[in-house]
Amino acid sequence: MDFGISNPNPGPYFDAFEEPPPPVISSEGVVVTDITEKFRAAAATLEPGELVKDAYFTLFESVGALEVMDPKMDSGCLAPGESLDDDYDVTRQLLPAEVIGIIDQLLSLEMAWHLGYPLSQTLFTSVYVEKMLHPAPETLQGADFIRDRTDEFPRDPMHAALRAYCLGLLKSCYYVNERIKNEHSYEEEDFVTNPYNRSLLETIDRYEIRDEIMEARKIIHDISHTLTDELAHALGFRLELRSAFLRAIELSELRSDPESLSLPWSQMQGVWEVVNKTRHLGKPVPEAFSTKIQRRLASTMPPRPIVQPSAEETHEHFKKLIADGINVLNVLHYSDSQSLLNFVLTFQAQKPQPMVYIRAILQNFLFNDMVILGRLSIRQVLDDDLSIVVLPSSLLLDRDNDSVEAPHHPRYAIAHQMELFRQRAAQSYLDIFRTFCQNRCRVRRTLFHSLQDWEMVQADAEEIDQLLQLQTEEKPITYPPLGGVPSHSLPLSSWAYHYKLRLMEWTVQLGFELEIYQPDELAGMYWYLSHLSHTRVLHLERIRFFTAQRLEPPGAASSSKTRPAAPSPELTRSKSYLYLAHLEAAATSELADALSQLYTALLRLRLLAPSPRPYSTDALRYEVRMKPFAPIGLPALPSFEAFAHAVERPEASTAALLDGAARAAGRARATLEGLVKMGAAEVFAVGCVERWRAGVREWNKAAIAVVLAVGVVKRVVDEVGEGGVGVGERLSVQVPRPEEGYHEWWVVPKVVEK
Amino acid sequence: MAAFSDSSDKVGSGTPKAELPGELQYIQYQHSLESQYLPSIRALISKDLSEPYSIYVYRYFLYQWGHLCFMALNPVDSSLIGVVICKLEMHASHSTPTLRGYIAMLAVCAQYRGHGVATTLVKMAIDVMANRNADEIVLETEETNIPAMRLYERLGFLRSKKLHRYYLNGNSAYRLVLLLKPTDVDATTDLGPDDEGPP
Repeated sequence: MDFGISNPNPGPYFDAFEEPPPPVISSEGVVVTDITEKFRAAAATLEPGELVKDAYFTLFESVGALEVMDPKMDSGCLAPGESLDDDYDVTRQLLPAEVIGIIDQLLSLEMAWHLGYPLSQTLFTSVYVEKMLHPAPETLQGADFIRDRTDEFPRDPMHAALRAYCLGLLKSCYYVNERIKNEHSYEEEDFVTNPYNRSLLETIDRYEIRDEIMEARKIIHDISHTLTDELAHALGFRLELRSAFLRAIELSELRSDPESLSLPWSQMQGVWEVVNKTRHLGKPVPEAFSTKIQRRLASTMPPRPIVQPSAEETHEHFKKLIADGINVLNVLHYSDSQSLLNFVLTFQAQKPQPMVYIRAILQNFLFNDMVILGRLSIRQVLDDDLSIVVLPSSLLLDRDNDSVEAPHHPRYAIAHQMELFRQRAAQSYLDIFRTFCQNRCRVRRTLFHSLQDWEMVQADAEEIDQLLQLQTEEKPITYPPLGGVPSHSLPLSSWAYHYKLRLMEWTVQLGFELEIYQPDELAGMYWYLSHLSHTRVLHLERIRFFTAQRLEPPGAASSSKTRPAAPSPELTRSKSYLYLAHLEAAATSELADALSQLYTALLRLRLLAPSPRPYSTDALRYEVRMKPFAPIGLPALPSFEAFAHAVERPEASTAALLDGAARAAGRARATLEGLVKMGAAEVFAVGCVERWRAGVREWNKAAIAVVLAVGVVKRVVDEVGEGGVGVGERLSVQVPRPEEGYHEWWVVPKVVEK
Repeated sequence: MAAFSDSSDKVGSGTPKAELPGELQYIQYQHSLESQYLPSIRALISKDLSEPYSIYVYRYFLYQWGHLCFMALNPVDSSLIGVVICKLEMHASHSTPTLRGYIAMLAVCAQYRGHGVATTLVKMAIDVMANRNADEIVLETEETNIPAMRLYERLGFLRSKKLHRYYLNGNSAYRLVLLLKPTDVDATTDLGPDDEGPP
């Protein structure tokens, strides 16, 4: 229910020169006291500009204040002589070209809504839409911008076409809005779901609407002899686009076979091309759109301008929406948990990122009813992941444990402890997927919080590991084999630690992508990234060691005269994953190290000059920058002094830094070139291997660019000597924006010899 | 907040800027100046804004934190050339509360940009907030407003977060932070909310 300021039928309206009528101050059952005089007397004691507020009135609330009779704030304020509504006549005859023109403008407005602008400034600026939705129609027949028609006269064919189009449009908006509301996104920031108290044809059946669109296409076909073929086709395809979109939406709720789900999307793809090519046939009807309708909506906002992308922008966005709509269906081909993660990571890393609606479909596929992709339990996916990363062929994941009923049996205890672990970890694990379905700024900010969550998951997992190792009678092994101490495998906390490290790396990498860091911070942030990835390399080696000790203990094969049993497919898969993860982490660490050394050299050579920053110190800025990582126990954040020393590398000459950078980038390059050649299953990118490979290729191009940049700097440094005197006259350095480079996570300086 | 219209000349030296009319006067705002300067403060700040702030928002700041507001005045006729408006209060949503300064609005007349007027105003605001024991100063600025970011970054601010589609025009913002005192990292685990207020 809406009352007062959000009354769906706001009014009455006054102009600035008219005295408003006195308010009604009598009401049944309510004792009314007129406080006008008291209020005036109290107000008279205030100085102008004195602030009246209680201690809890926030800035946020103060921004909501309105100035009555200011046309930019007061939605009811009309300029002298301004009318409340436009007097556009929706019953007027429309030319076919005008129907096309109106539809094409509606397409642009629909896209603006998808992009995050409110309905009030987009589709609800259409007079036809407003008349169709308000008052809310109860039946299909009533859903028309021309009300109270008598059935004796058939609809004018052009009105029928536009009406059917609007029915399909609004119904699809209803489903899109519902889908987005059901998933996680940020109102205002990603998308505005507010329908301003209008119902988007919620109560009208989708199949009735589909039939109505079919009927309109038939009408257009029947009268095509009175139009040109061109116009008839243009209208027909626009109607087909609507029915295909409705069908695509309907099917995406199913989460079944991706091939059949993609049919209407593919149809849309073809139809869209024709629609786009026939835009020139339309004749715009700008008077059929008005910002004044906003005054009729349940909103306190004064009318704001129409937001309408150009025809070209609309085309690009629709093409992308449809392509992503087809693409996202491939997530339903589940192969393994790591391919699923790679699907989400690579899908969301696209530039531009898929639109909110597509991201909502992806979330629905992933999580709806707690059934992953419509057919997998959370346990299945989580166990799959544990098996890939740390526990191939492990007793801990044996489903038979569940059927052991003897409480003293180790398997009974294992089943119990594993279930506790799943309950503890499942939400955090799924949140990784959910997080990456958000906009990129939100991903980074959400990761700050996830880091602390995973810090606790890891600690809790370690406790469960210790209980489990009693049940499995695991013997500690010296790790590292040379010079280490006896240690247990700690599989669950190892798994958690692996994810925590990845989350930390992603957090830093998104900082590059979102241009969070200033150029003189890059040496430090790439050093930190390299440090994190290198930590992960070492951790992966530890996991690999303990897996091998458990399943392929040294000496087992050689002591036996018989041929060793072939490794289980699970073990093969896990080894393959650990190998891949090791390569990726190593390539990340190497290239980050190369960039860190290069940027440190550029700072030393004064080719990058930090500002004086009179109000700050390096240590204070380090504290701000590393705040998300400060609470993490392992790997602990280095002290500022240790960090500064590691980044500045005072013991190395500038020439040595550059040589080191070239070698590290070269090693990254060799690894990346190997990665590109591996198969989809080997790189755990089943269903998204093309996107994954494209990412690795861009990463590799960045590595090559580092080698080249280092080469240019090195040549000049070799000529002018270690002091670098005169380097500034020889070289210019520019730090490109992330989108100007080969890969958003790898900001390679452009070094040019003057 | 959204209001930042001080951008030094974006197209280089193509369009000549006006020389400053002599040595500007920089003065601290006080309530008695309201009738003289509030209309021009509003006019200057809302000039480039599609959504003006109500008079209440200005008074919200100026009545409570007038001492954190500084104005640059034309020495010839005492007209307003630039203004900075701030607040300073305990920020309690951290587990360790901090005294947080917030630069809400900063604007300089278009023809006098590029002379460091905004920098001087911001430095005066930082100085007074630092003297009042502020732990940190934060603000948001539009991602496209490179001159504004340069100004703040030259003084020591860092970008801490990017805020997606923060402004009504669909542009994103950066949150900038200037830490004035080290905090006890062990005590602060809550990362706090992101928004000081709506744009």
